[in-house]
Amino acid sequence: MIKEFTKGFIKENPVFVMALGLCPTLAVSSSVMNAIGMGLAATFVLVCSNIIISLIKNFIPNKIRIPAYIVVIASFVTIVDMVMEAYVPDLHKSLGLFIPLIVVNCIILGRAEAFAGKNNVINSILDGFGMGLGFTLALVVIAVIREILGAGQLLGYNVLPQSYQPMLIAILAPGAFIVMGLLMGLLNLKKK
Amino acid sequence: MKYYLKLGFVLLLITTLASGILAYINGLTAPIIEENQRLTKENARKEVMPDAALFENIGTYNEEGVFAARNDTGEIVGFTFLASLYGYSSDVKSMIGVSKDMIVNKIKVISQTETPGLGANCVKPEFQAQFSNKDLQQMKVDKDGGPIISLTGATITTRAIANSIKYGMKYLLTLDVVKNINNPTEAGKSVIETVEVTK
Repeated sequence: MIKEFTKGFIKENPVFVMALGLCPTLAVSSSVMNAIGMGLAATFVLVCSNIIISLIKNFIPNKIRIPAYIVVIASFVTIVDMVMEAYVPDLHKSLGLFIPLIVVNCIILGRAEAFAGKNNVINSILDGFGMGLGFTLALVVIAVIREILGAGQLLGYNVLPQSYQPMLIAILAPGAFIVMGLLMGLLNLKKK
Repeated sequence: MKYYLKLGFVLLLITTLASGILAYINGLTAPIIEENQRLTKENARKEVMPDAALFENIGTYNEEGVFAARNDTGEIVGFTFLASLYGYSSDVKSMIGVSKDMIVNKIKVISQTETPGLGANCVKPEFQAQFSNKDLQQMKVDKDGGPIISLTGATITTRAIANSIKYGMKYLLTLDVVKNINNPTEAGKSVIETVEVTK
């Protein structure tokens, strides 16, 4: 059972191994703070939608399972969006556009379809947590590299000497692709 | 036939439940969100016009109030308005405080989603500080021959902010209160008096 939890970290990491949810990964990993916020928000949605979907899986006819999953996921995303805007407006401001995008984060629909729709609640919770944390981990690793190279900062604090000329490309879109590609390659190299 | 009706019914049930829950949570959070936004704007107004003792609504610009800032004795010391213009990838909205002589006092960018690392640097205080003590004619970026130094790789964002301030100030100059600031008419004087009374 513990395997359901830990498999998401490295062995079946949603970003590096399954290559799911790349759009939010590339978009929000420009700073560590954003990466953590996005990762935790996605984890919350993932766990909640996994719980509900594994509970109602026997009730939903097979033919309409996808629209039903989408409704469940979209509802949780909207809840996260509204609650964050009300209680943590600063974080909500910087994640802005990306929160509604959790709806189309294929990790969440992917886990609903591949796992929660076939397994019991406890395993689905563990799976959701594991995958969510794996997603967060991947985001944070990419963001640490990009933020240090691209802004000379970590969590908004300067970590490199003032004389360091920030490598702007690292926090722009190309930097996201390059860093993610290198990390994916590194992981594959280790596996062999 | 019966099977398809069942499909529709199940979907209807799920969506009805979902919308019910959403409506409930929206009811809980909507007032807090509104209050947050009001506070953000109010704090921004105070920040760009620190000398003001009270703000008096004198018009609407960009769907947001234009305020005359009055000091302790009820004199108008300046105005605040919300400047907004499309930058590179979003509307850049900033609260602007101008003195009564139409010199920018201070600006504060309150909402934008420009490119991280480039245009998004417009929220930095060092960047916003350069707009202070400049007048309408000086609201030009360096590429257009003005004194405003553009953000690296984000001239478009910088230009949008400068232009949004320029348009806002031009609008201010069309207001009667602003026109008559230095020689208040009888009506203008009575406004000052009523403000003192209501305080």
